[in-house]
Amino acid sequence: MSDANLQVAAATAPKTQKQRGLWSDAFHDLRKRPTVIISSFVILVILLIAFFPGLFNFHDQNVKYCDLGLTRGAPSGQHWFGFDEFGCDYYAQAIYGAGPSIQLAVIVVTVTIIIGGFMGVLAGFYGGWVDAIFSRVVDVFNSIPFLLGAVMLLTMFRDVQVPLIGGRLQAIIPAAITLIIFGWTSTMRLIRASVIESRGLDYVQAARSLGASDMRIMFRHILPNAMAPVVSLIPLSIASMISVEATLSFIGLGVRAPEITWGMMISSGAPYFTSGFPRLLIVPSAFLIATVLSFVLLGDAIRDALDPKLR
Amino acid sequence: MTEVKVKSEILPDADPMATLLRVEDLRVEFHTRDGIAKAVNGASFSVDNGETLAIVGESGSGKSVTSQAIMGILESPPAKVAGGRVLFRNVDLLTLSKERARRVRGNHVAMVFQDALSALNPVWTVGFQLSELFRQHRGMSKKDAMKRSLELLDLVKIPAAAQRLREYPHQFSGGMRQRVMIAMALALDPDLLIADEPTTALDVTVQAQIMRLLKEIQLERNMGLILITHDLGVVADVADKISVMYAGRIVEQAPVLDTFATPAHPYTKALLKSIPRLDTKGQRLEIIKGLPPVLTDLPPGCNFAPRCAYAQEICTRELPLLATVAADRAAACHFSSEVIRDV
Amino acid sequence: MGRYVIRRLLQTVVTFGVVMFLLHYLTTLAIQINGNPVRTFFGDKPVSDSVLAATKAKFNLDDPCLTRVGDPCMGIFQKRMGDWFLRGDFGTNFKQVDVMESILKAIPVTLQLFLIVTIVWILFGITAGTWAALRRGKFIDYFVRIGTTLTVAVPGFLLLLIVQKVVGVLLGNWARDTFGRESVLGIIFQPSYNAKYAWLTLLIPGIVLGVFGIAGITRLSRTSMLENLRSDFVRTAKAKGLKPTRVTIVHTLRNSLIPVVTLIGFSLAEALGGALITEGIYNIPGMGKLAYDAIKTVDTPVIIAVTAISAIIYMLVNLLIDLLYAVLDPRIRYE
Repeated sequence: MSDANLQVAAATAPKTQKQRGLWSDAFHDLRKRPTVIISSFVILVILLIAFFPGLFNFHDQNVKYCDLGLTRGAPSGQHWFGFDEFGCDYYAQAIYGAGPSIQLAVIVVTVTIIIGGFMGVLAGFYGGWVDAIFSRVVDVFNSIPFLLGAVMLLTMFRDVQVPLIGGRLQAIIPAAITLIIFGWTSTMRLIRASVIESRGLDYVQAARSLGASDMRIMFRHILPNAMAPVVSLIPLSIASMISVEATLSFIGLGVRAPEITWGMMISSGAPYFTSGFPRLLIVPSAFLIATVLSFVLLGDAIRDALDPKLR
Repeated sequence: MTEVKVKSEILPDADPMATLLRVEDLRVEFHTRDGIAKAVNGASFSVDNGETLAIVGESGSGKSVTSQAIMGILESPPAKVAGGRVLFRNVDLLTLSKERARRVRGNHVAMVFQDALSALNPVWTVGFQLSELFRQHRGMSKKDAMKRSLELLDLVKIPAAAQRLREYPHQFSGGMRQRVMIAMALALDPDLLIADEPTTALDVTVQAQIMRLLKEIQLERNMGLILITHDLGVVADVADKISVMYAGRIVEQAPVLDTFATPAHPYTKALLKSIPRLDTKGQRLEIIKGLPPVLTDLPPGCNFAPRCAYAQEICTRELPLLATVAADRAAACHFSSEVIRDV
Repeated sequence: MGRYVIRRLLQTVVTFGVVMFLLHYLTTLAIQINGNPVRTFFGDKPVSDSVLAATKAKFNLDDPCLTRVGDPCMGIFQKRMGDWFLRGDFGTNFKQVDVMESILKAIPVTLQLFLIVTIVWILFGITAGTWAALRRGKFIDYFVRIGTTLTVAVPGFLLLLIVQKVVGVLLGNWARDTFGRESVLGIIFQPSYNAKYAWLTLLIPGIVLGVFGIAGITRLSRTSMLENLRSDFVRTAKAKGLKPTRVTIVHTLRNSLIPVVTLIGFSLAEALGGALITEGIYNIPGMGKLAYDAIKTVDTPVIIAVTAISAIIYMLVNLLIDLLYAVLDPRIRYE
C-alpha cells in the first residue's frame, strides 16, 4: 500500500481504545451478511438431516421398502419425490442419502486437520531438514492426482473389510481413509505457511527469550495465531470432500452399499433425464448442490472476514 | 493524437519567467469507510530554480500526499483533490488533460521514492527500467537508450555501470539502489525534483553520500528540489527553506536558519527540542505529549492545540491562519510572536 | 540459476523415486491382502495347481513375498521398475491387451482435450481475473467472484452430466433440427465424442473440464493483480510518466502472472483426475476413459499404469513450470 494511504489509514483509526480483536470483529461482520445467514441455516438443516434423518421421515417411509411395481412412480402427497427405478421412495432415499457422505466429510476433515496441523506446525516451526523432509513427503503425495490415487486405492482394496467395525462405519471408513491419505497435504501446507508467518512475530521471540520450551511456544503461542486460515478451511474442506465423495459414488467407488448417497442416486438417475423422468436426476443434484454451495459460501465468507488485509 | 516527443512542446503555455512551482491552497481528501479524511487542508508554498524546499512533518501530516498530488499520481478513488492550484511556471498541473499531465511526469517534474527495493520493479533489469524512459518519452532506439542509461549510472557514480545495467534491483545494495532511483528521476532532465524521504531507509553514512549527490546534481542543473523528510538533521544540511506540516496544514514557513534559530510555531519548537543532543547528557528526552489528530474528525480550532504548551482558549475556537510574522517568515499560530521570543 | 536448476532436478528425481515406490508398495499390499489375482483370470472354472503355478510365473505373481502382508518386496520393485522404464512394459490388462499399447493410442486424444483446457484457463481464467482486478467493485468484479464461487459449488461430474444432457442432448437436438445434422452447432452440441469431428466435439467437454480448475486461477489472477496495483513499483512506473497501458501490462501484469503460472501446474493434477470423469461421461477414447472403464471391470493393471503415467506427467510439467518460474522471477535465481 502506498505510504500516503497507509498514513491516512493510520490517522483515521477510531479513537475508541477498545480493540475488539480479529475474531470478534469477524464474527460481528459475518452475523449481518445475508449469504452467511442463509448458508448457515441450510447447513444446519442438512446436518440435521444427516445425523437425525428420522426427524424428517414424515410419512414413516422405510427406506429399504421398495416395490418394483411402483418403479419411477410420480410424486404424490405421501411420496414427495415419487419413486426411483427400483420402486423405492425417492424422498426417503434423498433424506437418508445425506448421512453417509456428510459424516464421511466430517471425519475426513477432522482427521486431516489433526494430522496436517500436527505436521504443519512441526515443519513450520523447526524448519531446516525437518521441514525439508516433510515437504518432500508432501510433494510425493501431491504428485499423484487426487482422484486417480483415490480411484486406485479404492479399486485395489475394493472388497477389503476393515476389522472391528460394522454397519455405517464399515461403509464409510474405506473411502474416508483414502480421502485422508490424499487430502492431508493441503491442510499441512496451509498450516505450515501460517506457522512460518507467526514464527517471526515479536511475541514469539519474547516467549522464547523468557525460556519457554519449544512445545509451549508451538501450542500456546503460535498455534492460536495460525488457526485463522484453518477456521475458514473447515467448511471449504467439507464442501470439497462431499464433492469428491459424490464423484467417487458416481463411479461406484465411494461409500459402500447398502448405504445410499446422492452420488449414487445421480448415477442411476442420470440416464432418465432425457427420457421422461428428469426428477430422478434433479432431486439428488439439488440436494448436493445446495449442500456444497452453502459450505462454500460460508467458508468464503469466513475467510474474507478473517483476512486482515481486507479490513 | 500525435505523440509529443519534444519536451518543449509539452507545456506550451509555460512562462519561463514565472516561479518554478507555486502551490496554492491545496486540498486533498480521502474517502474512506470511516469518513472523509482531510489529508491536506490548504497547503501553500513555492520553490524556484536552484532552491531547496524541505517539507517536514510526522507520519500522517500530509507531506507525501502533497508531493503525490503535485505529481498527479494519487489514487483517485479514494483520494480526491478537493481544491487549490499547482502552478508549474504558471500552468496549473491539476487542470491538464490526463495525457498532458502524464507527459509532464518525468520530463518536467520527477520523483524519488523512499524504499528503492520496493519502488523498483523486481523482474526487469535496471538497464531496462532506465532505458524505458528514453524509449517511451524520446522515441530512442534500444541501443541509444542503453547508452544514455549508462551515462546516467555514471552520473550518479555507480561503478562498473556497464555490468550493472544488466543486473536486477535486488542485486544492488541499499545505497546503490537509491542512486539508481535518482538516476531514473534525472533521466529526462526535469526542472523540479521531489525527493520523498530519500534517505530514511539507508544507513547514516550512506545517507550523507546520497544527500551530497543530490545537492551536487541540483547545483549543476539549477533544478528545484523539494525534500520531504522527518529528519531535521538532513534539513539543516541541505535545505534553503522549510515548510512544517501538521495535520495537513502548513504551520510554519521560513528560511531554514531562521526557523532553527527562532521557531515561530509551538510544533516546530517542540520538534527541535525533541532532537537528542550530545551536549545535554543525562537529561530527559523531550517528547510531544499526545497523539496527532484523527483526519476524519478534525477539531474546529487549531489542530495542534491539544498538545500545545502555549494553547489558550482561543486556540480551540479559532483556526489560526498562516500569517506573516517577519520578513519571509510565516506561521499559523495565535501566539507566534511569543513563541519567537521564548528561547 | 544453475544451483536452482540442479536442486529442482534432484528434488524431482527423489520425489519420482518415492512415488514409484509408493505405487508399487500399494499394489503389492493389495495383492497381499486380497489374495493372488491369478485366480480371477479363470473366472469360476476349476483349475489345476500346475496351471495356476505356470500362470503365476508368466505374470510374475509367484514371488513368495506376495503372501506376506506388509513386505515391501524390493525384488519385485526392481523388476517392475525395469519393466516400466527400460522396456515400457506395463503388463497387460485382463483381456490380455498390452496396457502400454492402449495408453499410447489413448494419449493423443487426451492431449487434445488438455490443450483446450489450457486455453480455457488462460483465455478465460487469467483474463477474467485480471479484468476483475482492473475494474474493482464494478459489475465484472462481482460477476467474476460469483462465477468462481459457482464453479466450485457444483461438483465436476455433475456439471458434466448436466451439460451433457442439456447442451448435448436438448440443445443439440434443437441445433440439429434447426441447422441440420452436419452443421457446426449441431456437431459441437453432442452428448459424446465423435472421432470424425475430434476438435469440435472435444470443445464442450474441454470447456467444462477447464471449469474444474478455473476458480483458483481466476481468483489468484485477481488477487495478484490487486496486490501489484497497489505496489510501490507501479507507483514509480506512473511517476515516470509511462502510458497507462504500458504500466498495466509491462509492470503490473508481468509481476502478477508469476504465481499464476505455478498454480496452473498444480491445477493440472485436478484436471488429470477430472479427465477420468470427463472422458468417461463423454465417451472420449483417451487415457481417462481407459481408467474409467477399468474401474468397472476392476482391471487393476490399467488403473495403476494410468495413475503412474499421470504422476510422471504431473512431475515433469511441474518441473518445467518451476524452471519457467525462475525465468520469470529473477529473484529466485540467486537464492
